[in-house]
Amino acid sequence: MATLRIYDELCKGAEECGICLYVCKEEVFQPSETLNQKGYRPPVVVNEDQCTQCENCMIFCPDLAIVVSEKKRKKGSK
Amino acid sequence: MNELVHPYHRFIRPTVTHTTFCPGCGDGTVAQSILRAIDGLGMDMDDFVFVSGIGCAAWIPSPLFNADVLHTTHGRPIAFAFGIKMGLPDKKVMVVSGDGDLVAIGGNHLIQNARRNIEMVVLCVNNGIYGMTGGQAAPTTPMGVKTTTTPYGAFENFFEDISGLVIAAGASFVARWTTAHPRQLTASIKKAIQKKGFAFIEVISQCPVQFGRKMGMGNAIQMLEDYKKRSISIKEAKKLSPEELKDRMVVGEFVDLDKPEMVEEVTRMIRRASGEAQEAVDTGRG
Repeated sequence: MATLRIYDELCKGAEECGICLYVCKEEVFQPSETLNQKGYRPPVVVNEDQCTQCENCMIFCPDLAIVVSEKKRKKGSK
Repeated sequence: MNELVHPYHRFIRPTVTHTTFCPGCGDGTVAQSILRAIDGLGMDMDDFVFVSGIGCAAWIPSPLFNADVLHTTHGRPIAFAFGIKMGLPDKKVMVVSGDGDLVAIGGNHLIQNARRNIEMVVLCVNNGIYGMTGGQAAPTTPMGVKTTTTPYGAFENFFEDISGLVIAAGASFVARWTTAHPRQLTASIKKAIQKKGFAFIEVISQCPVQFGRKMGMGNAIQMLEDYKKRSISIKEAKKLSPEELKDRMVVGEFVDLDKPEMVEEVTRMIRRASGEAQEAVDTGRG
């Protein structure tokens, strides 16, 4: 199961907002090459292996557009 | 393979396809912090009545939250919330609104209801400007900031410490965080929901479009960075002098008291008064 999911249509742009790129210490995200329906450039996951599932991107995202899976985090913390 | 689903999308009204905020606005982070707190406490949206006024932050509960919401007149959400709490004391009442609504226009409602110590959560999202109407100077706009109405810089003294005002008015829980502290904010909202009394949380939030751009603070990221740099916890701040605290944001939970709560006091009073009346009838018969 994927660690991360980005709701492209909810995103308001990695360039206009870009909070996910800023809060991610592991540089998991990168602006996408394609635009979404509203004309914003959502982020894409490039380094999924680097993701520590700290949930920073999910908590900070103002548009509730990123989900981080909980499963692996629980396993890792135990 | 089942796809990941956002855990808080179930709290969002099904007709809402996207948030109403500008890109990079802090209001969305606050909205998620509220949902996270409600989910963390194992509560449901039906336990709450949300009240909001006018302004960007007032868009957080209405239309976003799939709950009972009152979108009220400018500056009066606390007055409406007071009525709801007196009528439905079992419901949790949460007011979410901005600084222009709660402090500028509805300032006296805030003070008087903090004094009454009526059980409700008031979340004041402070972005320091009238964002929705086009970036006019608010009472919370720092001095010298160029806005639409102050093209040469704001010349008024500004409301620096809203939390201090509410503490002085007598609220039982007061906290301040910025949008750079969403985890701490969630913890404070949880405490505020459980608090028997007036709980006030001030959230300093970035407005990249109307505030950041005009002040030269730049985009959302630069504003968040600035909040991280300037914020200082209350414990640390106690060690510093007022001069050193200039231009700093003191964050943390300032007050957590147990005081007589108004709804409880009214119920007690009704019971006492009716008991005494009953007693008078009994003795009259005897």
